Amino acid sequence: MSVTRPSPGKYVCGMVASLAIFLAGGWLILAPFALGYQPYGADWVSQTTNDFVVGICVAAVALVSFVLFLFALLGSLRASGVIAARPRSQAVAVETAPHAGPAPAVASTQSDLDRTLATLAQALAADLSMRRQGSGDTQTQTNPLTEQHMTNRRDA
Amino acid sequence: MRVADVMRRLVPPTSYVLLLFFGTGVWLTMSPFAMQTQSSGQHWSASTINNVALGGVLMVVSLLGILGFMGFALRDLLREAQEKQLVEQAAHEAAPVHS
Repeated sequence: MSVTRPSPGKYVCGMVASLAIFLAGGWLILAPFALGYQPYGADWVSQTTNDFVVGICVAAVALVSFVLFLFALLGSLRASGVIAARPRSQAVAVETAPHAGPAPAVASTQSDLDRTLATLAQALAADLSMRRQGSGDTQTQTNPLTEQHMTNRRDA
Repeated sequence: MRVADVMRRLVPPTSYVLLLFFGTGVWLTMSPFAMQTQSSGQHWSASTINNVALGGVLMVVSLLGILGFMGFALRDLLREAQEKQLVEQAAHEAAPVHS
């Protein structure tokens, strides 16, 4: 079980930049007509062609970039546990038997297990700190607890 | 963590798209002069002003995006290193008790 701290800042930064560039691409497409340097009904001048082609490319790539950053953000949130990950075996079970009961029960059991483990880790940490504050001869008794606490911290 | 891994986390493939936009901004800025639609010594036309301004916006936004992404990624790397250090320190403190 590997849970990392969510770090959406970098992805949001990329998404904001992509969105601003997408809007810039849209304006590039419209600019020759909005600013009037492309006469109505006439053949397109070279500047219009350039702006239109560049605008379409920029808008399309910015949209793709936005989607990529969005998926990266969702992946990061899923990895940190903010969004519940959907296990593949569970997804297959839901697809094959949509009205089957055990799948939600499995998810519920998993979250219960996570909660129990978190509570256990907190209790062990509190116990460890209390024992550390206590006398020196009790240090030998804290050894298994210390190991378990470290294991829990590494798992978390 | 190796330097290559750090670089991959600081500049992932999605950031290359922002670099591409920076290049596009450069092209937009110089296109009126490269395509000779803006005569030298004359007042800038509406299309030239639009292209130069939009090219500048593209360059600034893409650079800010790249730098912002790198800054946040660097902060995450430092946090992870600190947490790893704390865990190792705790393990080191617990080791003499064990032996």
